Amino acid sequence: MAEPVLDASHLTKSFGKRLAVSDVSFEVGPGEVFGFLGPNGAGKTTTIRMLVGLARPDRGRVRIQGIDLADDFSRAMAHVGCIVESPDLYPYLTGRENLLHFARMLPDGAAARIPELSRLVALEARLDERVSTYSLGMRQRLGIAQALLGAPDLLILDEPANGLDPAGIREIRHLVRALAADRGIAVFVSSHLLSEVEHMCDRVAIIHRGQTLATGPVAELLSRAASGFRITARPADRAAEALRSALGGVERDGDETVLVSAAADAIPGALRVLVAAGVEVFAVERRASTLEDVFLEITGGETV
Amino acid sequence: MRFLPLVENEVLKLWKRRRFRLVLLILVALIGIIVFAQVEGRRRYGSRKDWRIDTQEQVARMRNWLRRGQLPATQRRWIQFEIERLQYHLDRNINPEETSGPLFTRGFANAASYLLLHLLAIVFAADIVSSEFSQGTVKLLLTRPVGRSRVLASKLAALLLAVGLTVLLGGIVAYLFGGFAYGYRGWGAPVLTGFRLSGEVFDTAAVRAVPLWQDTILVFGLAWFATATVGVIGFMTSVLLRSTAASMGTMFAALILGTILPRLASSWEFQKYLFVTNLPLPDYYTGTPPPILGMTVPFSVVVLAVWAAAALCVSFAVFARRDVLA
Repeated sequence: MAEPVLDASHLTKSFGKRLAVSDVSFEVGPGEVFGFLGPNGAGKTTTIRMLVGLARPDRGRVRIQGIDLADDFSRAMAHVGCIVESPDLYPYLTGRENLLHFARMLPDGAAARIPELSRLVALEARLDERVSTYSLGMRQRLGIAQALLGAPDLLILDEPANGLDPAGIREIRHLVRALAADRGIAVFVSSHLLSEVEHMCDRVAIIHRGQTLATGPVAELLSRAASGFRITARPADRAAEALRSALGGVERDGDETVLVSAAADAIPGALRVLVAAGVEVFAVERRASTLEDVFLEITGGETV
Repeated sequence: MRFLPLVENEVLKLWKRRRFRLVLLILVALIGIIVFAQVEGRRRYGSRKDWRIDTQEQVARMRNWLRRGQLPATQRRWIQFEIERLQYHLDRNINPEETSGPLFTRGFANAASYLLLHLLAIVFAADIVSSEFSQGTVKLLLTRPVGRSRVLASKLAALLLAVGLTVLLGGIVAYLFGGFAYGYRGWGAPVLTGFRLSGEVFDTAAVRAVPLWQDTILVFGLAWFATATVGVIGFMTSVLLRSTAASMGTMFAALILGTILPRLASSWEFQKYLFVTNLPLPDYYTGTPPPILGMTVPFSVVVLAVWAAAALCVSFAVFARRDVLA
C-alpha cells in the first residue's frame, strides 16, 4: 500500500472501568474506501472521536498524512473532512451560511468551492433556505459538502447511511466511490449496515466489543465465511447420502433440498455424483456468503 | 489561521438567533416602560414645591425616624448616610432630585446594574458554548484545523462584544427616551462624586463636583465591567455544564442570592468577596451605601477582576482538555 493517509495504531480508550476501545489499529491509503463495521455500541463512534481529536486516546496514536494528531492538531486536521455521528449543522442558518461558517475556519479559498460542492451534492436549489427546513438526506449531503470544503485527503463518515431511504443510500455510495476514485481521497466509513459496507468499501475492519476481530479486503473476508449451494433433487435422501460420501458438509434443509457447504467449483462434481446415483436434479442454487455470514461466524452468532 | 473570521462566525451565530434580538427588544421595552411610569408618577403626585423645602423636609423626617429609635442598626446607618448626603447637597445648593435626560441615563445604569444588565448578559453567556453541545455542532466546530483555545477565545470575544453592545444600547436608548421625557440637555451639569464610607462615617472629604457626562461615562464603564464579569462567569458555567438551562439556572440563582444576602445577612462579612455582592458598584460609586461596610469601588473592581480571571482560566483549561462525547 502507498504511504497511508490515516494511520491509527493501538488506540485504546476506557470510560471508568468500561473498556470502550482496545488496541485498535488500521491504515487507510489514498483512494481507498475503508469500512469500519460493527454493531451499535461496539466502539465505532469512540474510535472516530479519537481519529478526529474529539477524544484523547488513553494509549495509541493517530497519524494523518504522517502528522501526529496529538503533536500538531491543526496541521493534521487540515487534511481531514468529517461527519461524526450525525450531520449536525446550525439549523437557524441557511445551507450557504453554514458552509461559509465552516469555510471561515479553513485556509483561504475554501469559500470558493461552495458553488462546486453544492452542485456535487445536489443542493444548489435549496442552498439559501434554513437548514431547519432540510430533510435528513439533505442534511447528510450538506454535511458531506461541509466535509469536502477544505479539499481533504481524508474523509471520515460516521454512519453516512443512517436515516436515508434506499435511493439516498445509493446516492451516498456513488458519491463516496467517485470521491475515492476521481480525487484519490481516502475514505473512512463506519457502519452497522453490512450490506452497505460490502458495496461501498475496498477493505473492512470488523469491530466488536471494542476490539478489531478481522481486517482485510472485502473479498478476502467474504471467502472466510462458509459459502455453499443448495440442490433441489428427488429423492432427497438418496441425494444427501451420495453427496455425503463424495463431499462432506452436507445437510438436509427441506423436503426436497440438500445444502452443501463447499465452494462453487464443487458443483459440477456434485452433479456428476448425483447423476451417477440416479437422482433427479431440479435446481442448483448458489448461496453467496455476505459480510453478515462473516460477522456471524467471527462473533459466534451475535447479530448486528 | 486568522482570528477575526472566527469572531465573525460567533457574532453571526449570536445575531442570527432570535435570542439576541429578543434581549435587545426587552431592553428597549423596559426602558420605555420605566420612563413612562416615571413621567406618569410625577404628573400625578409630583410636588410643585421648592426642592429645597422638599429636601429639608426629607432630612427632617429622617432625623425624626432616628430620634424615635427602635430601628435595626443597619437601617439606622443607611438613614444617617442619606441625611448627610442630602445635607451636603443642601449646603451646596444642588438639587439632589433634579432630573434630565442625561441624569436619567446615569440613573438607568445605576438601577440596571442590580439585575437587569446581568440577567441579559447571562442569556447570551449561558448559551454560547452549551448550545454547540446541545445542537451537536461542537463536533464540527472542534474538528476543524483550529485549536480549541482559539475557538473558545472567539466565543469569548463575541460575548464581550454582545455585552458591550447591550450596555451601550441601554445607554443610548435611556438617553433617547429619557431625553424625550425630561429634555436632552444637561450633560455639563455638575454632579458630586467621590462619596466614601470611612468606618461608620459618610466621608465627604473627597467629594467634588464633575460634569455629568464624565461621571456617566465612568458609571457606564463600571456597569460594563460588572456585566462583563457576570458574562464571563456565565461563560464558565456554560463550558462546565454544557446545558443552557442548567447554566442559566445556576447563574440566576447566584444573582438572586446577591440581591438577598446583603439584605438578610449583612453581618456576614465574607460575602464581600463574592462576585454577586460586588456587582452594584456603579450604584455605590454614585453615593449609595455599599452592600457591606468597607467595600469601595476599587475593592469591587479587584474582586470582580479576580473572579473573571479565575473563570477564564477554568473555562479554557476545561474546554481545551475535555473529551467531547456529546
